[in-house]
Amino acid sequence: MTQLTTVFDFQGQPQQLAKKLGEGGEGVIYPLAQRPEVLVKIYHERELAKRGKILQEKVEAMRGVTQLASEKSVSWPLISVFDAQQRWLGYAMYKAEGKDMFLLAHSMLYKKHFPGLDRRAITGYLINLVQQLKTLQDHGVMIGDYTLHNLLCQPNSDKVTLIDCDSYQLQFNGRHYASPVGTPDMTPIEHHGKAFSDLVRTKESEAFSLAIILFKCLMLGRHPYDIVGGEDPVTNLKRGDFAYGVGNKGIPAGPWYNIWSHMPHRLKSSFIATFTEGANDPAKRTSLEEWLEILTLYGKEIDKDWHEVAITPSEPKPKKYHGNNRSISQSASHC
Amino acid sequence: MTHYELATQNDLIENPSPRCPCMVVLDTSSSMSGAPITQLNEGMQTFLQALNEDEVAACSVEVGVITAGSSVREELPFTSALNIDGCNSFSAGGMTPLGGAVNLALQKLEERKAEYKRAGVPYYQPWLVIISDGEPNDSWQAAAAQAKQLSSQNKLVSLVVGVEGANLATLGEFSHRPALMLQGLKFNAFFQWLSASMSRVSQSASTTAQVDLPPMDGWASI
Repeated sequence: MTQLTTVFDFQGQPQQLAKKLGEGGEGVIYPLAQRPEVLVKIYHERELAKRGKILQEKVEAMRGVTQLASEKSVSWPLISVFDAQQRWLGYAMYKAEGKDMFLLAHSMLYKKHFPGLDRRAITGYLINLVQQLKTLQDHGVMIGDYTLHNLLCQPNSDKVTLIDCDSYQLQFNGRHYASPVGTPDMTPIEHHGKAFSDLVRTKESEAFSLAIILFKCLMLGRHPYDIVGGEDPVTNLKRGDFAYGVGNKGIPAGPWYNIWSHMPHRLKSSFIATFTEGANDPAKRTSLEEWLEILTLYGKEIDKDWHEVAITPSEPKPKKYHGNNRSISQSASHC
Repeated sequence: MTHYELATQNDLIENPSPRCPCMVVLDTSSSMSGAPITQLNEGMQTFLQALNEDEVAACSVEVGVITAGSSVREELPFTSALNIDGCNSFSAGGMTPLGGAVNLALQKLEERKAEYKRAGVPYYQPWLVIISDGEPNDSWQAAAAQAKQLSSQNKLVSLVVGVEGANLATLGEFSHRPALMLQGLKFNAFFQWLSASMSRVSQSASTTAQVDLPPMDGWASI
Protein backbone atom coordinates (compact mmCIF):
# COMPACT_ATOMS: atom_id res chain seq x y z
CA MET A 1 0.00 0.00 0.00
CA THR A 2 1.36 3.40 -0.89
CA GLN A 3 1.56 5.99 1.84
CA LEU A 4 -1.69 7.92 2.13
CA THR A 5 -1.27 11.64 2.70
CA THR A 6 -4.78 13.09 2.93
CA VAL A 7 -8.11 11.78 4.13
CA PHE A 8 -11.52 13.44 4.31
CA ASP A 9 -14.41 13.54 6.71
CA PHE A 10 -18.05 13.09 5.71
CA GLN A 11 -18.32 16.74 4.65
CA GLY A 12 -15.23 16.42 2.48
CA GLN A 13 -12.98 18.38 4.83
CA PRO A 14 -9.38 17.27 4.27
CA GLN A 15 -6.86 16.34 6.95
CA GLN A 16 -3.18 15.63 6.37
CA LEU A 17 -1.83 12.37 7.76
CA ALA A 18 1.48 12.11 9.58
CA LYS A 19 3.87 9.18 9.12
CA LYS A 20 2.26 5.82 9.73
CA LEU A 21 2.31 4.68 13.33
CA GLY A 22 1.68 1.00 12.89
CA GLU A 23 0.38 -1.66 10.59
CA GLY A 24 -1.59 -4.81 11.24
CA GLY A 25 -3.35 -7.50 9.29
CA GLU A 26 -6.42 -5.33 8.81
CA GLY A 27 -5.08 -1.88 8.18
CA VAL A 28 -2.66 0.95 8.87
CA ILE A 29 -2.79 3.50 11.70
CA TYR A 30 -1.80 7.12 11.04
CA PRO A 31 -1.88 10.14 13.35
CA LEU A 32 -3.33 13.36 11.91
CA ALA A 33 -0.49 15.74 11.08
CA GLN A 34 -2.15 18.71 12.79
CA ARG A 35 -3.77 16.83 15.68
CA PRO A 36 -1.48 14.00 16.77
CA GLU A 37 -3.92 13.01 19.54
CA VAL A 38 -6.26 11.77 16.81
CA LEU A 39 -5.48 8.53 14.97
CA VAL A 40 -7.09 7.16 11.86
CA LYS A 41 -7.31 3.51 10.95
CA ILE A 42 -7.29 2.94 7.22
CA TYR A 43 -8.25 -0.59 6.23
CA HIS A 44 -6.14 -2.43 3.67
CA GLU A 45 -7.59 -2.51 0.15
CA ARG A 46 -8.13 -6.25 0.36
CA GLU A 47 -10.17 -5.86 3.58
CA LEU A 48 -12.28 -3.10 2.02
CA ALA A 49 -12.86 -5.22 -1.06
CA LYS A 50 -13.79 -8.24 1.03
CA ARG A 51 -15.97 -6.69 3.73
CA GLY A 52 -15.91 -2.93 3.36
CA LYS A 53 -19.69 -2.63 3.58
CA ILE A 54 -20.06 -4.52 6.84
CA LEU A 55 -17.05 -2.71 8.32
CA GLN A 56 -18.59 0.65 7.51
CA GLU A 57 -21.98 -0.40 8.88
CA LYS A 58 -20.37 -1.64 12.07
CA VAL A 59 -18.30 1.51 12.58
CA GLU A 60 -21.41 3.63 11.98
CA ALA A 61 -23.32 1.53 14.53
CA MET A 62 -20.47 1.90 17.03
CA ARG A 63 -20.61 5.66 16.57
CA GLY A 64 -24.25 5.39 17.52
CA VAL A 65 -23.27 4.31 21.05
CA THR A 66 -22.50 7.89 21.96
CA GLN A 67 -21.93 7.20 25.66
CA LEU A 68 -18.82 5.18 24.75
CA ALA A 69 -17.53 7.83 22.36
CA SER A 70 -16.96 10.09 25.34
CA GLU A 71 -15.13 7.38 27.32
CA LYS A 72 -11.45 8.26 27.17
CA SER A 73 -10.49 4.78 28.35
CA VAL A 74 -11.82 3.17 25.16
CA SER A 75 -10.38 3.98 21.77
CA TRP A 76 -13.86 4.16 20.27
CA PRO A 77 -14.52 4.96 16.58
CA LEU A 78 -15.52 8.64 16.49
CA ILE A 79 -16.02 9.53 12.84
CA SER A 80 -15.77 7.81 9.48
CA VAL A 81 -12.91 8.69 7.15
CA PHE A 82 -13.10 8.83 3.34
CA ASP A 83 -10.87 9.35 0.32
CA ALA A 84 -11.18 12.26 -2.14
CA GLN A 85 -13.91 10.36 -3.99
CA GLN A 86 -15.91 9.95 -0.76
CA ARG A 87 -15.13 6.23 -0.63
CA TRP A 88 -15.16 4.95 2.93
CA LEU A 89 -11.64 4.01 4.16
CA GLY A 90 -11.86 3.64 7.93
CA TYR A 91 -12.38 5.72 11.02
CA ALA A 92 -10.82 8.20 13.43
CA MET A 93 -10.34 7.73 17.18
CA TYR A 94 -8.42 9.28 20.07
CA LYS A 95 -4.90 8.04 20.59
CA ALA A 96 -4.55 5.79 23.63
CA GLU A 97 -1.59 6.17 25.96
CA GLY A 98 0.17 3.36 27.72
CA LYS A 99 2.15 0.18 27.34
CA ASP A 100 0.93 -3.13 26.02
CA MET A 101 -0.49 -5.21 28.89
CA PHE A 102 1.49 -8.10 27.36
CA LEU A 103 4.61 -6.40 28.76
CA LEU A 104 3.02 -6.16 32.21
CA ALA A 105 2.24 -9.88 32.06
CA HIS A 106 5.68 -10.88 30.76
CA SER A 107 7.91 -12.72 33.17
CA MET A 108 11.06 -10.92 31.99
CA LEU A 109 9.97 -7.64 30.43
CA TYR A 110 7.73 -6.23 33.20
CA LYS A 111 10.81 -5.14 35.13
CA LYS A 112 11.92 -2.88 32.31
CA HIS A 113 8.54 -1.47 31.32
CA PHE A 114 6.85 -1.30 34.71
CA PRO A 115 9.68 -0.61 37.16
CA GLY A 116 8.55 -0.90 40.77
CA LEU A 117 5.47 -2.94 39.82
CA ASP A 118 3.87 -4.81 42.71
CA ARG A 119 0.68 -6.83 43.21
CA ARG A 120 -1.27 -3.80 44.40
CA ALA A 121 -0.53 -2.03 41.14
CA ILE A 122 -1.51 -5.09 39.07
CA THR A 123 -4.75 -5.33 41.02
CA GLY A 124 -5.43 -1.66 40.32
CA TYR A 125 -5.12 -2.19 36.56
CA LEU A 126 -7.33 -5.27 36.71
CA ILE A 127 -10.07 -3.54 38.70
CA ASN A 128 -10.10 -0.78 36.13
CA LEU A 129 -10.18 -3.27 33.28
CA VAL A 130 -13.17 -5.16 34.70
CA GLN A 131 -15.02 -1.88 35.37
CA GLN A 132 -14.55 -0.88 31.76
CA LEU A 133 -15.72 -4.23 30.46
CA LYS A 134 -18.81 -3.82 32.60
CA THR A 135 -19.49 -0.39 31.10
CA LEU A 136 -19.16 -1.92 27.63
CA GLN A 137 -21.54 -4.77 28.48
CA ASP A 138 -24.05 -2.28 29.86
CA HIS A 139 -24.11 -0.82 26.36
CA GLY A 140 -24.46 -4.15 24.56
CA VAL A 141 -20.77 -4.50 23.69
CA MET A 142 -18.64 -7.64 24.15
CA ILE A 143 -14.90 -7.80 23.53
CA GLY A 144 -14.90 -11.22 21.86
CA ASP A 145 -11.24 -11.23 20.85
CA TYR A 146 -9.44 -11.05 24.20
CA THR A 147 -5.73 -10.39 23.85
CA LEU A 148 -3.26 -8.60 26.11
CA HIS A 149 -2.02 -6.70 23.06
CA ASN A 150 -5.28 -4.74 22.85
CA LEU A 151 -5.07 -3.42 26.40
CA LEU A 152 -2.76 -0.54 27.25
CA CYS A 153 -1.63 0.22 30.81
CA GLN A 154 -0.15 3.54 31.85
CA PRO A 155 2.86 2.89 34.07
CA ASN A 156 2.67 4.41 37.56
CA SER A 157 -1.11 4.64 37.49
CA ASP A 158 -4.04 2.23 37.40
CA LYS A 159 -5.25 3.40 33.99
CA VAL A 160 -6.11 0.87 31.30
CA THR A 161 -7.22 1.81 27.79
CA LEU A 162 -8.93 -0.59 25.42
CA ILE A 163 -7.81 -0.41 21.80
CA ASP A 164 -8.71 -2.11 18.51
CA CYS A 165 -12.40 -1.72 19.33
CA ASP A 166 -13.63 -2.34 15.80
CA SER A 167 -13.32 -6.07 16.47
CA TYR A 168 -15.85 -5.96 19.34
CA GLN A 169 -19.29 -7.55 19.20
CA LEU A 170 -22.08 -5.01 19.22
CA GLN A 171 -25.86 -5.13 19.55
CA PHE A 172 -27.29 -1.88 18.29
CA ASN A 173 -30.82 -0.97 17.21
CA GLY A 174 -31.80 -4.61 17.13
CA ARG A 175 -28.92 -5.64 14.92
CA HIS A 176 -26.04 -7.97 15.79
CA TYR A 177 -22.50 -7.09 14.68
CA ALA A 178 -20.13 -10.03 15.23
CA SER A 179 -16.62 -10.06 16.62
CA PRO A 180 -15.04 -11.91 13.70
CA VAL A 181 -11.65 -12.65 15.27
CA GLY A 182 -10.18 -14.57 18.17
CA THR A 183 -7.64 -17.17 19.24
CA PRO A 184 -8.46 -20.70 20.40
CA ASP A 185 -6.47 -20.49 23.63
CA MET A 186 -8.61 -17.55 24.81
CA THR A 187 -11.94 -19.02 23.68
CA PRO A 188 -14.24 -21.18 25.82
CA ILE A 189 -15.08 -24.71 24.72
CA GLU A 190 -18.63 -23.96 23.59
CA HIS A 191 -17.25 -21.62 20.94
CA HIS A 192 -14.59 -23.96 19.57
CA GLY A 193 -15.04 -25.50 16.14
CA LYS A 194 -17.09 -22.61 14.77
CA ALA A 195 -16.10 -19.60 12.70
CA PHE A 196 -15.49 -16.60 14.98
CA SER A 197 -17.70 -14.49 12.74
CA ASP A 198 -20.65 -16.85 13.39
CA LEU A 199 -20.38 -16.70 17.18
CA VAL A 200 -22.65 -14.84 19.52
CA ARG A 201 -20.46 -13.95 22.51
CA THR A 202 -22.22 -14.15 25.83
CA LYS A 203 -21.56 -12.83 29.32
CA GLU A 204 -20.35 -16.32 30.20
CA SER A 205 -17.98 -16.61 27.23
CA GLU A 206 -16.62 -13.17 28.08
CA ALA A 207 -16.18 -14.21 31.70
CA PHE A 208 -14.07 -17.20 30.65
CA SER A 209 -11.74 -15.16 28.42
CA LEU A 210 -11.50 -12.41 31.03
CA ALA A 211 -10.46 -14.97 33.66
CA ILE A 212 -7.55 -16.00 31.41
CA ILE A 213 -6.44 -12.36 31.11
CA LEU A 214 -6.68 -11.90 34.89
CA PHE A 215 -4.73 -15.11 35.50
CA LYS A 216 -2.02 -14.12 33.02
CA CYS A 217 -1.58 -10.72 34.64
CA LEU A 218 -1.41 -12.13 38.16
CA MET A 219 0.83 -15.02 37.08
CA LEU A 220 3.38 -13.17 34.93
CA GLY A 221 2.03 -14.29 31.60
CA ARG A 222 1.49 -17.95 32.44
CA HIS A 223 -1.52 -19.36 30.64
CA PRO A 224 -3.85 -21.11 33.13
CA TYR A 225 -3.65 -24.20 30.95
CA ASP A 226 0.17 -24.46 30.88
CA ILE A 227 0.74 -27.79 32.54
CA VAL A 228 3.90 -29.77 33.11
CA GLY A 229 3.76 -32.89 30.96
CA GLY A 230 0.44 -31.75 29.50
CA GLU A 231 -0.51 -30.98 25.95
CA ASP A 232 -0.71 -27.53 24.38
CA PRO A 233 -2.88 -24.97 26.23
CA VAL A 234 -5.80 -25.43 23.80
CA THR A 235 -6.00 -29.19 24.36
CA ASN A 236 -5.71 -28.70 28.13
CA LEU A 237 -8.43 -26.02 27.95
CA LYS A 238 -10.80 -28.38 26.17
CA ARG A 239 -10.24 -30.93 28.93
CA GLY A 240 -10.53 -28.40 31.76
CA ASP A 241 -7.04 -29.49 32.92
CA PHE A 242 -6.06 -26.73 35.34
CA ALA A 243 -2.95 -27.48 37.40
CA TYR A 244 -3.70 -25.36 40.44
CA GLY A 245 -6.01 -26.12 43.34
CA VAL A 246 -6.60 -29.43 45.05
CA GLY A 247 -3.48 -31.54 44.61
CA ASN A 248 -1.63 -28.89 42.58
CA LYS A 249 -0.71 -31.43 39.89
CA GLY A 250 1.41 -30.24 37.02
CA ILE A 251 2.31 -26.74 38.21
CA PRO A 252 5.41 -25.67 36.27
CA ALA A 253 8.71 -25.34 38.13
CA GLY A 254 9.57 -21.76 39.04
CA PRO A 255 7.83 -19.09 41.09
CA TRP A 256 4.30 -20.13 40.06
CA TYR A 257 3.26 -22.10 43.11
CA ASN A 258 4.55 -19.40 45.45
CA ILE A 259 2.62 -16.73 43.59
CA TRP A 260 -0.53 -18.83 43.57
CA SER A 261 -0.28 -19.67 47.26
CA HIS A 262 -0.29 -16.00 48.22
CA MET A 263 -3.54 -15.19 46.41
CA PRO A 264 -6.59 -14.79 48.63
CA HIS A 265 -8.79 -17.83 48.95
CA ARG A 266 -11.75 -16.42 47.03
CA LEU A 267 -9.58 -15.35 44.12
CA LYS A 268 -8.09 -18.84 43.90
CA SER A 269 -11.50 -20.51 44.23
CA SER A 270 -12.84 -18.37 41.39
CA PHE A 271 -9.98 -19.37 39.11
CA ILE A 272 -10.40 -23.03 40.04
CA ALA A 273 -14.17 -22.94 39.45
CA THR A 274 -13.84 -21.11 36.13
CA PHE A 275 -11.03 -23.25 34.74
CA THR A 276 -12.21 -26.69 35.88
CA GLU A 277 -16.00 -27.08 36.10
CA GLY A 278 -16.49 -23.77 34.35
CA ALA A 279 -14.55 -24.98 31.29
CA ASN A 280 -17.55 -27.11 30.33
CA ASP A 281 -20.32 -25.41 32.27
CA PRO A 282 -20.65 -21.70 31.52
CA ALA A 283 -22.89 -21.23 34.59
CA LYS A 284 -19.98 -22.18 36.89
CA ARG A 285 -17.79 -19.32 35.70
CA THR A 286 -17.13 -16.35 37.93
CA SER A 287 -19.07 -13.39 36.54
CA LEU A 288 -17.74 -9.94 35.74
CA GLU A 289 -19.55 -8.49 38.76
CA GLU A 290 -18.01 -11.13 41.02
CA TRP A 291 -14.51 -10.50 39.64
CA LEU A 292 -14.96 -6.81 40.33
CA GLU A 293 -15.93 -7.52 43.91
CA ILE A 294 -13.13 -10.06 44.45
CA LEU A 295 -10.43 -7.82 42.98
CA THR A 296 -11.65 -4.75 44.84
CA LEU A 297 -11.55 -6.71 48.07
CA TYR A 298 -8.07 -8.04 47.22
CA GLY A 299 -6.88 -4.45 46.72
CA LYS A 300 -8.36 -3.34 50.03
CA GLU A 301 -6.83 -6.29 51.86
CA ILE A 302 -3.42 -5.57 50.34
CA ASP A 303 -3.79 -2.00 51.61
CA LYS A 304 -4.35 -3.45 55.07
CA ASP A 305 -1.13 -5.41 54.64
CA TRP A 306 -2.89 -8.77 54.61
CA HIS A 307 -1.25 -10.07 51.43
CA GLU A 308 2.18 -10.32 49.90
CA VAL A 309 2.78 -7.61 47.32
CA ALA A 310 6.01 -8.98 45.80
CA ILE A 311 5.62 -10.02 42.18
CA THR A 312 7.55 -13.25 42.83
CA PRO A 313 7.37 -14.09 46.55
CA SER A 314 10.45 -16.01 47.66
CA GLU A 315 8.45 -18.41 49.85
CA PRO A 316 5.00 -19.95 49.56
CA LYS A 317 2.39 -18.62 51.95
CA PRO A 318 2.65 -20.39 55.32
CA LYS A 319 -0.20 -22.83 55.82
CA LYS A 320 -0.78 -21.47 59.29
CA TYR A 321 -3.74 -19.14 59.55
CA HIS A 322 -4.10 -16.75 62.44
CA GLY A 323 -7.72 -15.66 61.95
CA ASN A 324 -10.84 -17.24 63.32
CA ASN A 325 -12.56 -18.20 60.08
CA ARG A 326 -12.51 -22.00 60.02
CA SER A 327 -13.55 -22.34 56.40
CA ILE A 328 -10.63 -20.24 55.20
CA SER A 329 -8.22 -22.06 57.42
CA GLN A 330 -9.39 -25.45 56.16
CA SER A 331 -9.49 -24.59 52.50
CA ALA A 332 -6.19 -22.76 52.67
CA SER A 333 -4.50 -26.08 53.24
CA HIS A 334 -6.13 -27.57 50.15
CA CYS A 335 -5.40 -25.05 47.47
CA MET B 1 23.74 -33.57 33.60
CA THR B 2 26.05 -31.34 31.62
CA HIS B 3 26.45 -27.68 32.37
CA TYR B 4 24.63 -26.83 29.15
CA GLU B 5 21.58 -28.93 30.02
CA LEU B 6 21.38 -27.37 33.44
CA ALA B 7 21.63 -23.87 31.99
CA THR B 8 18.93 -24.40 29.40
CA GLN B 9 16.57 -26.05 31.86
CA ASN B 10 16.98 -23.16 34.28
CA ASP B 11 16.32 -20.86 31.38
CA LEU B 12 12.90 -22.45 30.89
CA ILE B 13 12.13 -21.85 34.57
CA GLU B 14 13.38 -18.29 34.76
CA ASN B 15 11.96 -17.34 31.41
CA PRO B 16 8.73 -19.24 30.72
CA SER B 17 7.90 -17.16 27.61
CA PRO B 18 6.30 -19.30 24.91
CA ARG B 19 9.10 -20.57 22.72
CA CYS B 20 9.67 -20.69 19.02
CA PRO B 21 12.60 -22.99 18.30
CA CYS B 22 14.36 -22.32 15.01
CA MET B 23 17.01 -24.78 13.84
CA VAL B 24 19.21 -23.50 11.03
CA VAL B 25 20.97 -26.17 8.95
CA LEU B 26 23.78 -24.68 6.91
CA ASP B 27 25.54 -26.31 4.00
CA THR B 28 29.20 -25.54 4.65
CA SER B 29 30.60 -27.85 1.98
CA SER B 30 33.66 -26.82 -0.04
CA SER B 31 31.54 -25.33 -2.84
CA MET B 32 30.40 -22.64 -0.41
CA SER B 33 33.99 -21.35 -0.18
CA GLY B 34 34.69 -17.70 -0.79
CA ALA B 35 31.93 -15.13 -1.07
CA PRO B 36 29.03 -17.49 -0.24
CA ILE B 37 30.36 -18.54 3.18
CA THR B 38 31.39 -14.96 3.99
CA GLN B 39 27.92 -13.67 3.18
CA LEU B 40 26.32 -16.55 5.04
CA ASN B 41 28.33 -15.77 8.18
CA GLU B 42 27.37 -12.13 7.96
CA GLY B 43 23.73 -13.10 7.45
CA MET B 44 23.74 -15.21 10.61
CA GLN B 45 25.11 -12.28 12.62
CA THR B 46 22.39 -10.03 11.18
CA PHE B 47 19.79 -12.61 12.17
CA LEU B 48 20.93 -12.84 15.78
CA GLN B 49 21.31 -9.08 16.09
CA ALA B 50 17.86 -8.40 14.64
CA LEU B 51 16.28 -10.93 17.00
CA ASN B 52 17.93 -9.23 19.95
CA GLU B 53 16.65 -5.85 18.86
CA ASP B 54 13.11 -7.14 19.36
CA GLU B 55 12.78 -7.75 23.09
CA VAL B 56 9.81 -10.08 22.81
CA ALA B 57 11.44 -12.19 20.10
CA ALA B 58 14.68 -12.24 22.11
CA CYS B 59 12.82 -13.89 25.01
CA SER B 60 10.87 -16.32 22.84
CA VAL B 61 12.98 -17.37 19.87
CA GLU B 62 15.53 -20.10 20.43
CA VAL B 63 18.12 -20.55 17.74
CA GLY B 64 20.16 -23.66 17.02
CA VAL B 65 22.72 -24.14 14.25
CA ILE B 66 23.93 -27.35 12.62
CA THR B 67 26.50 -27.35 9.85
CA ALA B 68 26.87 -29.91 7.11
CA GLY B 69 30.40 -29.90 5.70
CA SER B 70 33.42 -32.02 6.58
CA SER B 71 31.15 -33.48 9.22
CA VAL B 72 27.73 -32.87 10.75
CA ARG B 73 28.22 -30.55 13.70
CA GLU B 74 25.90 -28.97 16.19
CA GLU B 75 27.51 -25.53 16.29
CA LEU B 76 24.94 -23.92 18.54
CA PRO B 77 22.53 -25.90 20.72
CA PHE B 78 19.08 -24.33 21.14
CA THR B 79 19.56 -21.10 23.04
CA SER B 80 17.19 -18.20 23.65
CA ALA B 81 18.25 -15.32 21.45
CA LEU B 82 18.77 -13.07 24.46
CA ASN B 83 21.42 -15.48 25.78
CA ILE B 84 23.36 -15.75 22.53
CA ASP B 85 26.42 -13.53 22.62
CA GLY B 86 27.46 -14.23 19.08
CA CYS B 87 27.90 -17.01 16.65
CA ASN B 88 31.08 -18.67 15.43
CA SER B 89 32.09 -18.00 11.89
CA PHE B 90 31.81 -21.08 9.77
CA SER B 91 34.35 -22.17 7.20
CA ALA B 92 33.57 -24.16 4.10
CA GLY B 93 34.99 -27.60 3.40
CA GLY B 94 34.09 -31.21 2.67
CA MET B 95 30.97 -32.81 1.27
CA THR B 96 27.29 -32.01 1.80
CA PRO B 97 25.90 -34.40 4.44
CA LEU B 98 22.51 -32.66 4.58
CA GLY B 99 20.64 -35.88 5.33
CA GLY B 100 22.62 -36.44 8.50
CA ALA B 101 22.34 -32.77 9.45
CA VAL B 102 18.56 -32.70 9.04
CA ASN B 103 18.30 -35.96 10.92
CA LEU B 104 20.19 -34.42 13.83
CA ALA B 105 18.11 -31.23 13.57
CA LEU B 106 14.83 -33.15 13.81
CA GLN B 107 16.18 -35.13 16.76
CA LYS B 108 17.25 -31.92 18.55
CA LEU B 109 13.84 -30.36 17.89
CA GLU B 110 12.09 -33.36 19.40
CA GLU B 111 14.35 -33.24 22.45
CA ARG B 112 13.72 -29.55 22.93
CA LYS B 113 9.96 -29.98 22.61
CA ALA B 114 10.12 -32.66 25.32
CA GLU B 115 11.99 -30.19 27.55
CA TYR B 116 9.31 -27.56 26.95
CA LYS B 117 6.65 -30.07 27.96
CA ARG B 118 8.55 -31.05 31.09
CA ALA B 119 8.79 -27.39 32.08
CA GLY B 120 5.18 -26.62 31.10
CA VAL B 121 6.37 -24.00 28.61
CA PRO B 122 4.11 -23.61 25.57
CA TYR B 123 5.72 -23.50 22.15
CA TYR B 124 4.96 -22.34 18.66
CA GLN B 125 5.36 -24.56 15.65
CA PRO B 126 9.12 -25.19 15.34
CA TRP B 127 11.06 -23.93 12.34
CA LEU B 128 13.68 -25.74 10.31
CA VAL B 129 15.66 -23.60 7.90
CA ILE B 130 17.93 -25.36 5.41
CA ILE B 131 20.36 -23.38 3.26
CA SER B 132 22.37 -25.09 0.54
CA ASP B 133 24.11 -24.42 -2.76
CA GLY B 134 24.00 -28.01 -3.93
CA GLU B 135 22.29 -31.21 -2.94
CA PRO B 136 22.83 -33.78 -0.21
CA ASN B 137 25.36 -36.47 -1.01
CA ASP B 138 24.79 -38.73 1.96
CA SER B 139 21.77 -40.88 2.67
CA TRP B 140 19.11 -38.18 2.87
CA GLN B 141 15.81 -39.68 1.75
CA ALA B 142 14.53 -40.76 5.17
CA ALA B 143 15.36 -37.42 6.83
CA ALA B 144 13.75 -35.52 3.95
CA ALA B 145 10.62 -37.67 4.10
CA GLN B 146 10.31 -37.05 7.82
CA ALA B 147 10.74 -33.27 7.48
CA LYS B 148 8.26 -33.20 4.61
CA GLN B 149 5.70 -35.19 6.57
CA LEU B 150 6.01 -33.00 9.68
CA SER B 151 5.72 -29.90 7.54
CA SER B 152 2.61 -31.16 5.74
CA GLN B 153 1.06 -31.95 9.15
CA ASN B 154 1.71 -28.37 10.30
CA LYS B 155 4.05 -29.64 13.00
CA LEU B 156 7.10 -27.99 11.48
CA VAL B 157 7.73 -24.95 9.31
CA SER B 158 10.37 -26.36 6.97
CA LEU B 159 11.92 -23.64 4.87
CA VAL B 160 14.44 -24.66 2.22
CA VAL B 161 16.56 -22.00 0.61
CA GLY B 162 18.75 -22.66 -2.38
CA VAL B 163 21.77 -20.60 -3.33
CA GLU B 164 23.04 -20.49 -6.93
CA GLY B 165 24.01 -23.99 -7.97
CA ALA B 166 21.42 -25.65 -5.74
CA ASN B 167 19.39 -28.59 -6.92
CA LEU B 168 15.99 -27.21 -5.97
CA ALA B 169 14.14 -30.36 -6.93
CA THR B 170 16.10 -32.50 -4.48
CA LEU B 171 16.20 -29.83 -1.76
CA GLY B 172 12.46 -29.41 -2.17
CA GLU B 173 12.02 -32.94 -0.83
CA PHE B 174 12.75 -31.59 2.67
CA SER B 175 9.46 -29.72 2.85
CA HIS B 176 5.94 -29.89 1.53
CA ARG B 177 6.54 -26.37 0.27
CA PRO B 178 8.84 -25.86 -2.73
CA ALA B 179 12.42 -24.78 -2.08
CA LEU B 180 13.09 -21.10 -2.75
CA MET B 181 15.98 -19.67 -4.69
CA LEU B 182 17.92 -16.83 -3.17
CA GLN B 183 18.71 -13.99 -5.53
CA GLY B 184 22.49 -13.71 -5.73
CA LEU B 185 23.89 -13.91 -2.23
CA LYS B 186 21.31 -11.86 -0.39
CA PHE B 187 21.69 -13.73 2.85
CA ASN B 188 21.33 -10.53 4.81
CA ALA B 189 17.92 -9.78 3.33
CA PHE B 190 16.85 -13.36 3.91
CA PHE B 191 17.89 -13.36 7.55
CA GLN B 192 16.19 -10.03 8.09
CA TRP B 193 13.03 -11.55 6.71
CA LEU B 194 13.51 -14.58 8.96
CA SER B 195 13.91 -12.46 12.08
CA ALA B 196 10.86 -10.36 11.10
CA SER B 197 8.90 -13.60 10.73
CA MET B 198 10.13 -14.82 14.11
CA SER B 199 9.13 -11.47 15.64
CA ARG B 200 5.64 -11.84 14.30
CA VAL B 201 5.37 -15.38 15.58
CA SER B 202 6.57 -14.41 19.06
CA GLN B 203 4.12 -11.48 19.16
CA SER B 204 1.17 -13.56 18.06
CA ALA B 205 -1.51 -13.80 20.68
CA SER B 206 -1.61 -17.55 20.82
CA THR B 207 0.80 -20.42 20.32
CA THR B 208 -1.81 -22.08 18.14
CA ALA B 209 -2.83 -19.06 16.08
CA GLN B 210 -2.01 -18.79 12.39
CA VAL B 211 0.52 -16.07 11.73
CA ASP B 212 0.69 -13.99 8.57
CA LEU B 213 4.36 -13.83 7.71
CA PRO B 214 5.92 -10.77 6.09
CA PRO B 215 5.99 -10.80 2.30
CA MET B 216 9.03 -12.46 0.78
CA ASP B 217 9.36 -10.38 -2.37
CA GLY B 218 12.31 -8.54 -0.86
CA TRP B 219 14.67 -11.45 -1.10
CA ALA B 220 13.46 -14.42 -3.02
CA SER B 221 12.66 -15.12 -6.60
CA ILE B 222 10.18 -17.90 -6.85
